[in-house]
Amino acid sequence: MNSLVLLILIIAGGALLSYFGHKINKILGNITVFAVALIIPIYWFTQVDFTETVSFTVSGFHMELGYNMYGKLFSMIVMILSPLALIYAIGYMKDQKKLATFYFSFLFSILGMTGILMSRDFVSLFIFWEIMTWSSYLLVIFLGKDVQKTGIKYMVFSAIGAYAMLMAIVIIYKNTGSMMLSDYFGSFAGFTLQTKLLTGILLLLGFAVKSAVMPLHVWAPGAYSNTPMAYTSVFSGALSKMGIYGLGFVVVNLFAQANLEIVGYVLAWMGAITAVLATFSAVFQHDAKKLLAYSSIAQLGYIVTGIGIGTELSIMAGLYLAVLHAAFKGVLFMVVGAVERQAGTTDMNVVSGLARKMPFTFFTALIAIIALAGIPPLGGFVGKWMLYESLINNSNFLMVIMIFLSSTAAFLYCFKFLFGLFLGQQEPEFDHVKEASPVMIIPMLLLSVFLLVTGAYPGIVFKYVAEGMTNLGFHDVNWQMSVLTNAWGDSVNVQHVYLSVVVVFVAFLIFITWRGYKHSTKISTKDISSSGEMIKPEDNMTYAMDFYKPFQRVLQPILKWKINKYYEDFGKGLEALFDFMRRIYTGNGQTYAVYVIIFLAILLIFSKSIFGY
Amino acid sequence: MVITDPVYFIALPLLTAFLLPLFGKIYKPLIGIIPGLVFAFLAYISFDLYLNLVPGKPIIIQMAGWAPPWGINLVFSEFSGLIVTLITFLAFLVWVYSYNFKKVGFDNSKKYFTLLMLMVAGSIGVVLTGDIFNMFVFLEITAIYSYGLTAFYKGRDSAEAAFKYLLLGSLSSVFILLAILLLYKQVGTLNMADIAVKAQSIDPKMKSIIAILFFVGLGIEAEMFPMNGWVPDAYSQAPGPVAASFAGMLAKSGIYALIRVFYTVLEVKGVFDLLLIMGLLTIIFAEFSAMRQKHLRRMLAYSSIGQMGLIMVAFSFNTKAGIFAGLFLMFNHAIIKTLLFLSSGFLTYSTKQKKIRDLDGFGKIMPFTSLMFGLGAFAIVGLPPFSGFWGKLNMLVATADSNLYFVIALILLVAVVEIVYYFKVIGRLYFRQQHKDVEVHNPTWNAILAMSILAIVIIGVGIYPDLITDYLTKATNELFDKAGYIHSVLPNLSLN
Repeated sequence: MNSLVLLILIIAGGALLSYFGHKINKILGNITVFAVALIIPIYWFTQVDFTETVSFTVSGFHMELGYNMYGKLFSMIVMILSPLALIYAIGYMKDQKKLATFYFSFLFSILGMTGILMSRDFVSLFIFWEIMTWSSYLLVIFLGKDVQKTGIKYMVFSAIGAYAMLMAIVIIYKNTGSMMLSDYFGSFAGFTLQTKLLTGILLLLGFAVKSAVMPLHVWAPGAYSNTPMAYTSVFSGALSKMGIYGLGFVVVNLFAQANLEIVGYVLAWMGAITAVLATFSAVFQHDAKKLLAYSSIAQLGYIVTGIGIGTELSIMAGLYLAVLHAAFKGVLFMVVGAVERQAGTTDMNVVSGLARKMPFTFFTALIAIIALAGIPPLGGFVGKWMLYESLINNSNFLMVIMIFLSSTAAFLYCFKFLFGLFLGQQEPEFDHVKEASPVMIIPMLLLSVFLLVTGAYPGIVFKYVAEGMTNLGFHDVNWQMSVLTNAWGDSVNVQHVYLSVVVVFVAFLIFITWRGYKHSTKISTKDISSSGEMIKPEDNMTYAMDFYKPFQRVLQPILKWKINKYYEDFGKGLEALFDFMRRIYTGNGQTYAVYVIIFLAILLIFSKSIFGY
Repeated sequence: MVITDPVYFIALPLLTAFLLPLFGKIYKPLIGIIPGLVFAFLAYISFDLYLNLVPGKPIIIQMAGWAPPWGINLVFSEFSGLIVTLITFLAFLVWVYSYNFKKVGFDNSKKYFTLLMLMVAGSIGVVLTGDIFNMFVFLEITAIYSYGLTAFYKGRDSAEAAFKYLLLGSLSSVFILLAILLLYKQVGTLNMADIAVKAQSIDPKMKSIIAILFFVGLGIEAEMFPMNGWVPDAYSQAPGPVAASFAGMLAKSGIYALIRVFYTVLEVKGVFDLLLIMGLLTIIFAEFSAMRQKHLRRMLAYSSIGQMGLIMVAFSFNTKAGIFAGLFLMFNHAIIKTLLFLSSGFLTYSTKQKKIRDLDGFGKIMPFTSLMFGLGAFAIVGLPPFSGFWGKLNMLVATADSNLYFVIALILLVAVVEIVYYFKVIGRLYFRQQHKDVEVHNPTWNAILAMSILAIVIIGVGIYPDLITDYLTKATNELFDKAGYIHSVLPNLSLN
């Protein structure tokens, strides 16, 4: 049997098995989930034949599944992150009810993502896209928080995106007579400008919603933070990348080919604005979940900028950041989940000093934060460097400033996150907190190891990025091509710079550890000296409250402008309109009869203009 | 088969309906059993006839031996046969569902099944007949028994709903009758094929007046805006299975009559543009009103109107792709809306006010019914992998085919609204804490059976739509081929 079809069947079967397993009993269910989480990636990495295709005709539409290298790159994110998140979920969701629904939706969203990345035609792309949407919707409202607000917001934005895509699809079908992506790419140049823009922008809109580009991002903070964290790591890590996947081929394969780089450029600007504003919002969140949610939006903004610029280097940077973002944001959401489960809250005004209680969690969080902030020696640095370089090469200096501003401001929330949850003084009310269970720790550690390894050897990721880019029309891509040139014309390969930085950093780390070890003494976090004033043990001197207050005061005018409010007003206006329209149905029989008579009269009076006589 | 003859579709339920009280006198449970047997038989022969239909050769029955255009004839073609099969299949499922519907005592069930059989007979008659006056008669039969079924619960609200329905229904009858009268005066025949041949000679002014009367009269039956005021009341006050059969059969026969008249009988320029505009208005007003409903059944009723509007839009393109999409939507609407009404029957049965907000947390206490409702909601908003998706996709492809991009945008915008109100209900069913002191009425085994069959059809067609596309294509060709219809009804006529 075809390995792609079998892959789909394995995931769907896994979903059903986990569903019924959990219906029967929890232990059986967890064993099934664990087995499924192992089988899917093992099958994908060992058995799936990436050259294979399968095609069938359904309801007159020709559909075809088959990988290309670009899809494979994104599949790799899905196939590494989601099984780990599934395993993590076994521990994280232990005390929850309705686990059958949870794992069913979880696996179906994996099915949706897997399908999207192997779809070669629009019908199957759309089908899998919608499967992904409704399964993730079920998970967004899974905990029953803000069902009518957050859940509906997510669904409305997803539906707007999906239907924009659907509209593009049917117009494309009308113009090309085929649903194949390749036929669309092939004939795009021959379309009229109007059709080009209409179909392309509608497709962009569809993908942009999932990748949370402003102003289509308002669903994201609520949805990311209301979902059980085990799924949010996939949601932010992998699912949002489906949007990036689509943006990539639309910008590069369509608009750049048709000399409409301007569209990509606009998109890049939107990405940059997203990055800046979302970062600012993230800085002032006091709930760690919300902080990470905004940070996800900001990070996706970088990626969108990279894709939108559309040069070889910028796309490479974007895709590389996409892979890394999946890994570090996957870890961070798992970390927050672990804290939530062990300490009972993720409010950074309340929790503090968990580093000693949850050392492994702290370690993984630290690694992920370093990667996120783009500090060498971890991988985020390379990605950001390349992004800057590509922007500078294109003389987009204003955009460089914005990205730079955003990633500098990102340090603020990175520190706040670490400090708020893990550092500071340990409070007695969190004395009972223990390290999370191994089922949760191991996936986090594995992802951190991935981050460390790719930090030292970014080439591992770049190899696949370069492979993937062949499908976007860029051949012989290599990360070593990122080259620094100084004013005197000397050039130096960034790889050498990078490796030197790594070596110096590691050497320094070893040095201070060795030096410091001799003199170290163990003290409690309450061991604080002050000038004259006596501090009692219960006094907390290191609050995470009102972090960055002056900064907030400065930014107040920008942050006051909340697009969310406009959407809500718009929604309210619509509801009022609907209410008004509803009143046409008065509930009075006579009125209805009068409508009929009036309608008949109108038709008779205007029959000449309607029927011509 | 020996006894497969389309006459049974009408004769058998009519006869049984009148004999039903007699059977009841003999042995009480027969009241419930006999209709089931009849519906099962009808479903069986319709499948048998339909599957053995030779393309291009519809089965034509001449009543009382009078050949058309003088006698009344029944036409069981790929198109009408499809609708009849759908109706009988749904009728059988409705019977399965309501076989021991608890509230229905002996007297009531006698009344219920009698009225139901007559309504089914009427709906089938509308679809099968080849005679325009006969169509009017069947429309009347259907309407009258529907009034009765609407008022079934004898309460004030049901009576009011039935009265509104009656008011608009009688207007509809007047207009249709008037149209037929004028038409007869012009062409001197009542046979649809014969009229179609002679219609070219009608004075265009008169023709447009006839068309308008038909449009308004049949528009009321087909739930067209602004003449659909009766729908929300009738659907929400009638018993659950009756509302299901209104959506599945009554509305279907109404829209069938509308498109048969304008596709085959009367060719009037401009009528399809009018249908497009009215269809769009129907969708917009219905879906927007549905958004603000507090009662589950009223919400479903408005959503049902919206679907009918979509079907009208699909047929208004007057292209093969449009008809195909319209038929697909009709199939979906019949199956999915029936499932929604059947499951909502049990959901609202357990609440006093039948409001949506009473349904919090029902997913836990009525898992099966809620699951069925959720499935239906997913399917009707057009999410894959359920059958609703293929209908919507084909519909949009047909719209793009006719170059009506703004219609695509409009349909999709309204679909977003549709998603919102259906998902609000799902959110309440599954992700809210339940209210206290809820009386739970778990569905009976036969209701579970009926709903499961519908669910299987929805998923089956959703995963593999080619199960039905062949039949839909055939029906499309039949409806589009006007000359073929005339030729097969009047074989001796030489078209020149």
